[in-house]
This record gives sequence, C-alpha cells and structure tokens, in this order.
Amino acid sequence: MVMLGLDVITTAAILFIVSAGLLIVFGVMKIINFAHGAFITVGAYATLVTARLGLPLVLTPLVAFAVGVLLGMLTEAAIVRRLYRRPLDAILATWGLGIVLGQIVTLAFGREVQFVPAPLTGTVAVLGQNYSSYRLVLVLVAVVIGGLFTAVLGGTRLGLATRAVIMNEGLAQTLGIDSTRVRLLTFGIGSGLAAIAGSVITPLASVDPNMGLPWLIGAFMLVMVSGGSLVTLALSCVVLGGLQVLASTFVSPILGGLTIAVLAAVALRLRPEGFARG
Amino acid sequence: MSPALELANVSSGYGSSVTIQEVSLCVAPGEILALIGKNGMGKTSLLKTIMGFLPARRGSVRLHGKEVTGVLPHRKRRLGLAYAPQEQALFQDLTVRENLRLGLLYDAGFDQRLAKVAGWFPVLADRLHQRAGTLSGGEQKMLIVARGLLDAPSVMLLDEVTEGLQPSVVDRLSEVLATIRREQKTAMLVVEQHIPFVLGLANRFAVFKRGEIVETGPVDASSAERIDAHMHL
Amino acid sequence: MADSTLTAVPLPESLSRDRPAALGRAMLPGLLAVLAVIAAPWVLDTYTVNILVRAFFVATVAVTVDVLWGFSGYLTFGQSAFFGIGAYTVAITFTELGFGPEQIAVALGATIVLAAAVAVLVGWLSFYHGSTPLYASVISLVLPIVLVQLIYSGGTFTGSSSGIVGFETFDLSTESWFRVAGIGAVLTAVVARIVLASDAGRLLTALRDNETRCAYLGIDTARVRILLLLISGVVAALAGFGYASFGGIAAPENASFTFGTELVVMVALGGRGTLVGALVGALAIEVASAYLSGILPFVWQLIVGVAFVVVIVVLPAGLFGPLRGALAALGRTDTTRRRSVRLAAVQRPTLAAASGEAVVETHDLVKRFGSLAVLSGVTFSARPGELVSLVGPNGAGKTTLIRCLADGRERSGGMVRICGRTIGRQSPHCIVALGLGRKFQAASVFETLTVADCLRIARLRRQRPSFFTASSVLPLPPAAQAVVQTSGLAERLHEEAQLLSHGLKQALELAMVLALEPQVVLLDEPTAGLTRGERQRFAEILTGLTTEAHLCVLLVEHDLDFVREISTRIIVLHQGRIALDGRVDEVVDSPLVREIYSGRPAPAAAGQRP
Repeated sequence: MVMLGLDVITTAAILFIVSAGLLIVFGVMKIINFAHGAFITVGAYATLVTARLGLPLVLTPLVAFAVGVLLGMLTEAAIVRRLYRRPLDAILATWGLGIVLGQIVTLAFGREVQFVPAPLTGTVAVLGQNYSSYRLVLVLVAVVIGGLFTAVLGGTRLGLATRAVIMNEGLAQTLGIDSTRVRLLTFGIGSGLAAIAGSVITPLASVDPNMGLPWLIGAFMLVMVSGGSLVTLALSCVVLGGLQVLASTFVSPILGGLTIAVLAAVALRLRPEGFARG
Repeated sequence: MSPALELANVSSGYGSSVTIQEVSLCVAPGEILALIGKNGMGKTSLLKTIMGFLPARRGSVRLHGKEVTGVLPHRKRRLGLAYAPQEQALFQDLTVRENLRLGLLYDAGFDQRLAKVAGWFPVLADRLHQRAGTLSGGEQKMLIVARGLLDAPSVMLLDEVTEGLQPSVVDRLSEVLATIRREQKTAMLVVEQHIPFVLGLANRFAVFKRGEIVETGPVDASSAERIDAHMHL
Repeated sequence: MADSTLTAVPLPESLSRDRPAALGRAMLPGLLAVLAVIAAPWVLDTYTVNILVRAFFVATVAVTVDVLWGFSGYLTFGQSAFFGIGAYTVAITFTELGFGPEQIAVALGATIVLAAAVAVLVGWLSFYHGSTPLYASVISLVLPIVLVQLIYSGGTFTGSSSGIVGFETFDLSTESWFRVAGIGAVLTAVVARIVLASDAGRLLTALRDNETRCAYLGIDTARVRILLLLISGVVAALAGFGYASFGGIAAPENASFTFGTELVVMVALGGRGTLVGALVGALAIEVASAYLSGILPFVWQLIVGVAFVVVIVVLPAGLFGPLRGALAALGRTDTTRRRSVRLAAVQRPTLAAASGEAVVETHDLVKRFGSLAVLSGVTFSARPGELVSLVGPNGAGKTTLIRCLADGRERSGGMVRICGRTIGRQSPHCIVALGLGRKFQAASVFETLTVADCLRIARLRRQRPSFFTASSVLPLPPAAQAVVQTSGLAERLHEEAQLLSHGLKQALELAMVLALEPQVVLLDEPTAGLTRGERQRFAEILTGLTTEAHLCVLLVEHDLDFVREISTRIIVLHQGRIALDGRVDEVVDSPLVREIYSGRPAPAAAGQRP
C-alpha cells in the first residue's frame, strides 16, 4: 500500500516535470510544441554525453537545460514564428522537426538502447518500506520546478509580462511589452524544461532515439485537461498518474501506458475546455 | 512647436472594407481633442490604426514630428504613446497593483508613482491587492486612466473612458485629466459620447462620421449646441 | 405592376444540360494512367514492379489522407491505423481460418465492418461542438498508438512485435498484382476527383474554409466529417487488405503512427489538396526509400524530414507548388471554358408562415459570464412582416442576444422559441432547420469557393446535391435571386468569394442566408463598411423582405439613421435588459433613450457604486 502510494507520487512528479514545459508554451503561444518529445530525447542524450565525458552527474540537468533552451529559441525564431497564423501547420512543422532531431540522434548515437547510471543509487526507508531514493529525489525536483515557476511568474517583471501576454497579448503590447521576445523566451525555457525532463528520467527509462514520443502524448493530454493552470496540471498528474500506476499494476503494463491518453481523451470529450476553473 | 500627435490622410480598414478614409488631425502638447460621433462610425478603429493594431494602408502618423506609421505597437508605447482601449482594457485576474505596475515600462520609481495614484483616486489606494475584475465599473475606469497616465506619456488615447459612469466619477476623471494636462503637458485624443464631459474638458472637438472627420473646431459657447446635436438619436 | 425588389427578373437562356463536372479533366488522365499501369510491367524490371505494388497501396491511403487533410482540413496521423486493420484482418483470417472463397469474403467483410466501426468511434471522439482541430489531430495520433499496443499485447493471435507471416494468400503473379494495385490507386484518385468536383464535394472545401458558416446553413458538420472519415477509413483498410495479401505479411509497422506521419509527409511534399500530389508524393518517396535506404539508411529519412519542415514553413503548396501554379496560370487564360452556371427559380419555394403567429419568442432570457449577467429578463416576441431593430450602447448585450437566439447552448436560462418550437439546447444547425437564418457582422462566406458554389452550399439543406455532377443550374428562391441580381453578383457567379469587394461579400452572405428560405433572419450590423449606395440598396432589400416575402427580420445596428428609416419596431437594450420596446416614433423621441445614448446613466442603474 505504501509502495503503491509512493509509486503514484513519484509517477506524478515525473509526469509534472515532463509536462510543465509544454504547459508554459501552450499558455503563452496557444500552440502545442510537437517537438517536445524530441527535446526530451535530446536532453537524455545530452546526459549520456556528459556521463561519458565524466562530468559530475549533478551538472547534467543544467547542461541539458542549456542545450534545450538554445534549440528551443532557434526553433521559435526559424520555424514557429513564421507560422503564427497557421497553428495546425506550426504543429506539423514542430512534428517534422522532432523527426529530424530523432534522425540526427540516430545518426550520431545509433539505434540501440542505451543506459545511463543513476546519480543516486540505493534506497531509503519510508514508512517501513525501502524505496528508490532517486525516485524520491525526483519528487523534490518537481516541487522545485513548480516552486521556481510560481515564484518567477508571480514575482518578477518578466513573469508579470508573461502572464500579461497569456491573458491578453494585444493589451500587453499596448503596454509596451515585446510579446515576440516573451514568446521566444518562453519557447526556449519550455524546451529547456523538456530537456531537463529527459535528463532526469534517463536512469529510470531506457534511452533510445524515440523515447520522447510516448511522453509527448501523455504530456499533451495532461496539458489539455489542465486548461492552462499549473496547479491543475499538478492535480491532473496525481490523478491520471495514479490511475496509470493502478492500471499497470493490476491489469497490465501495456494497457497502463495507454491509460492517460484514453482517459484524458474521454474527459476532454465531455468537457472540452479543460478543468482549470473546476 | 510641432504637434505631439499628427495624422495625415490616414486610411485603413478590415479585409476589403474601408473603415477610415483619409483622416487628418493633430493634437498639440497639453491639448485635449475630443473625437465625437455615434457608435459604429469608426472611432475605435481610428485609435487602433494610430496604435498600429490595424495597419494604415495610406497616410502617415507622427509623434512629435517623428514618423511612426509602421512601428509596432509595443514600440509606440515606448516612444510615449499610451492607449486605453474601450474593451478589455484591464487584466481582470491581476491585482490593481499589478495592473498599475504594467503601466510603467520599468519598475524604478514605482512607489512614488503609486503615491501619485493615491492622490488622483484615493479609492484605488485602498484596493491595491484586489483583483481588477472585482472592482466596480467606475473603479475599473479609474484604474485604466491611472495606469495610462502613470508614466507621464506624451500622448494619451482614451476610448470612451466615461462610458457607464456616475456623474460624480465623471467629474473626478475630468479633474484628474485637467490636472495632468496642466502638469505633464500630455496631449490627449479622447473618444467620447458624453457631451458634458467633452464640453468641460476638451480644447477642440472633431466629429467623426462613417470613417471621416466631418466637422472640427474649438470647444466654446458657440459650438456647444452643435456638438450636442450630433449625439441625438 | 409595382416595381418590386423581389420579383425574379427573367434570365437569358444559356448553355446546356448537366454533365459530370470533372469528366474531361479526370477521366482522360485517369484512362491514360490505367493504360500506363497495364503496360508498365512489360517495361520495368521485377524489383521495381515489386516495389511499386506496395507503393500503389500506400498511394491509395495517401489519397485518403489528402481528402481528409488537404480538402476538409482535418490533419490526421491515423489513416495508418485503418491500413493496419485491413492488413491484420487478412493475416488473422487466413491464418486462423485458412484460405478459400468463404474466407476471402469473411476477411473482406470483417475489414469493412471493423474499419467502419473504428472510424465512427474516432469520429465521435474527434468531431463535436467544442472540439478543436488540434484535439481531433491528437486523437488521430492516439489511434495508431493504441492499436499498436493492442497488437503487441495480442500474443500469438496478433503475432506481437514480429507480425504475422506464412499464411496462404491469392495466387497472382507480381505483374497481376501490379495491375490490380495500380488500377486501384488510379481509380481511388479518379473517383475522389469526380466526387470532390461535384456539388456535394464542394461541401468539403466549405467545411475547411468556414465550418461555423456551414453549421449556420443547417449542415450537421459533425455528421459530415464522421461520414467522410468512415469512407476514408474503409478505403485505407482495403488498401491494407491488398498490401497484406500481396506481401503475405502483416507487421505492427503497418499500423504505426510512424507510417501515419509518413503519409502526411508524402501528401505535404507532393502538394496537399491536389490528389495527384498525394499519388506522386507517395510513389516517389516509396520508390526512393526502397532504393536509397539500402545505401544511406538514416540520411535519407533525415533528408525527407528536413524537406518536410521546409515545405511546411516556406512552400505550403508542396514541392511542386510553384510548378503547378505556373501550369495553372497558363491553362486558365480562358475562363469561359469553365462550366457556366445560370440562375433559376426554385420549383416550389417555401411559403412564409401566416402572419399573427410569433416566429421569435423569448421569455426571461438570461446569459451570465461567471457572476456577470450580460442579459437578464429579456422577454419579447416578433411576428412575420416585422422589421425589428435592436439598438443600445456598446456592451448592452445585443450580439449576445443574437447568439442566444441562434444557438441553444448559449443562454444560461430562460426560454426561446423559433417558429413555434422551443430551441432547448439545440445546436445552430438544428435551429436553422426550424426556420432561422443568421448573417454575421464580418461577411462570413467560403473564401475559396466561387459565388455560385457558395450559394449552392446554402441550398444543400433544401435540395440534395449530386455526388458526381456539378449542375449548371442554380435554383434560388425569389428573395435570394433578387439580392444576387440587384447587387451585381449575377455577373460574377464564377469569381472566388475572396476576390469580392466588402459590399459584395455582404450581399453574397445575405443571399446565402436567404437561400435557406428562412422565416426569421438575424442580422448583425449589416451596414458596417458599406458605401452610401450599398446601404440604400440594402435598406430596400430588407424592407422588401418584410413587406413582400413576409419574413421577420431582427437587426442589430449602430447606424441610427438607417434604423429610423426602415424599422417597424425598435427594441432598446441597456445593460442587458430591455429598456424600451415600441414603434419607431415612440422610441426615437423618448427621453429615456436620449439619456442612454448621451452616456448619463439611466435611472434604473442609479444604485451603481462609484
């Protein structure tokens, strides 16, 4: 029972880390970055590289973040910005970019599944059970990310400008906010977050050129269901993540992997605008 | 002295229609020009064209003599052109304080400006941490004006700021705007349908009909009746 | 005889009878293609023939993707799932039941039934009020993922990750398969071309251009899309049937989202919305992949990926877009070669309701946004022959009221009746069926269709269109015909709507609404942006609608001179309530209205906090 509960919480944490970047991009730019999965993959492989280079493993999320931010800003400037009036095409183009990134990764690293050692091994005793310390650390990471975002969005000038752009881009421009720059930064940071997610899940999941895709679908569904609110996203991760864990444990792992997508699809069918103002 | 805001033969429209036809006007620093006319005549579209949300197809817009026709809206703000739209002029989910903060381009000196706001509209000072959407209609309009003038812009565009307000609030607004005009020499282009407000505050008026200015002149005793007549049903 | 604005002016007799529209344009190339397919195996080497068989099946699916995406605007990654359904049904049937005529029939039947069922389910999930194109696309992505997972978890029944091989199948030579597959692909494209060029086929373009307008023309857009998906899914499944029958293998890759996205890439590169582009793109990529992926395995896919991104960003019409544009420019010099269309009168126009019975009634209508009441206690009724103007300051709730009348899901409370029937929570297309027509403020037409086609879409509800021909006769009821003739649209039936001036677009939209033969017409600021002459004509038309055709017209307007001139009745809205409802002279002189318009608050709102 305790194990199950911890599984649910850590799964929710992982889902949150993976989805937060996508949520922020969706909130500001009103499109879904379909290269998000590829950025996750890139982050994972960046971790692989830093591990091979022998750099301290604590640095890897930061390296991944930097790579992700750079890639994201390039993508926004070169591709997404030109498709402002064609949102479906923006999705297609980012999807295409994801394919291209996957191919580049394959060319550079090969198709085989790779493994990255966890920076933290061993278990910790929680309520009488031994549980993986690394997974518990991820809960901390999720909380830190959520906290940082709330602090930046709520406290800083940039955060205020971003919230303004999310709420009413035209009015924000009237007040002197360069919404193009906000979009660029947002896309960069969202991509950087995806890369961090890829970097921290590498010890738990296998690393291959297509690893990001299942996460993209799950993240997308969670973002749609949460209707744009970070808090609702956290809740959705707990609820849907929990159901996924239950399905995987008691029914079958394969069907468990489908739980989020299927349940979210049905939930959105019943309430298209998401559950933010619940 | 060059006008603070000048339009020369500006035309624009939506899709294939022409909404603004060859409009020319100018507003001097410290002057208030009232743009009056019935609904649907294009007054809001004119303000949007000046600001750049509706691209001008012909003509030019100048700020203090500097050509700004194609400049992006957020840049225009940074050049000193402030705009208070008629609809969706506030961030409903942000607090009064946050809305005001967005009236400044940089955070420096925010607290002094807040003190100024307290002087203009004491009621706002009491509600700094309330969400803007929970304020009454009059308080919201006061917030819009306060935010717009916080940074002492050189030109202010106001779109129907008195709409739906009690006479006492309208008077207060009028006083504050007159004070600011005197102290900051802000040029204002005010779109209005509220005649007493126009008569009490504006230096000049222009009547807008079907996308063009059909009459213009100073606001004085002789023009008061003409102005009033334009607002008949 | 009085010069009525609505009398149909007799038109000159012009050409011909109906004739299948694209007969010349599709059949001849199609015939040539079929001949080429029959002859090709004698010329090509076995390896190429082999590749092309598979490529033809893939091209068939690509055509369905183009129909769904390029023509109706539904970006789908899921056609591969249907392909996989066909492939696996064949493989499983022939493995479990053996091979023979009955088994073939079973496999065929099961393929069609299964594909249809899945299509309807996915369609129900994807197309409904409130759904966005983005959501529909993602569902289409989830479909193949779910299917592949089911295949993986199916054990030996589905062959898991290795697929199913070794079942007995049709005993045909590769050359015969080539001809079957090739003719199948050509046939699919030709039939699609004919149907898409027919009157019914124009509906897809209308859906893609302006789905809202379709709903307000009485078309159940969800049902149309689901039907389209059903047909496309079955066709794709049949292609999968052929593919697995030829190759003797069904693998999870056949149903995967990777394949699904490859299809989209093929259509994008070849040029979406052209059908031929889908064929060319699919064949080219399949053949090139077969030859190149031996030599440069991942680089080839990288090249395709990059080309794809470039095409989306820079060349939305596909790699051959500029070429096609040039060819079209050459071929289009002679516009008279296009089918000409002539107007005609409707055989049995619907008569207006007898006066006296109210055709619009509201009782205590309420609309809330959160805690803000935008409309409250709105009660009024309107009869045939009345021209009711809805006026009021900005934010009074006029457009909201129009929305609540036209869409049963809009209001928060209260009752609305149109032509005697309560609208309940029905969606716009149902309310249009009750007799309501709505004209939007920004002229809402179908930009890439011609004027004649726009009007024809408006007639879809009243007369079933042909699926194979494009009629050269356009029957219109008298009111619509009058608008078309007096506005000058009659001379421009073949022009694309997006090329019309603002005033003409407004006239076109009005004609489309009148083509519905409604009893009630709702108009939202129809004179915005019109010249003085156009406004004058408009006033005459509106007056004619009420006095001669006995329609009930409800009009939201800001131009008070216009309102004063043509209305029989004025309703003044203020802060969400009806402040005044009466005859023109009563309302215009009322002191209450003067107060409202001069900005001083009306007595009723005196309790507002400053």
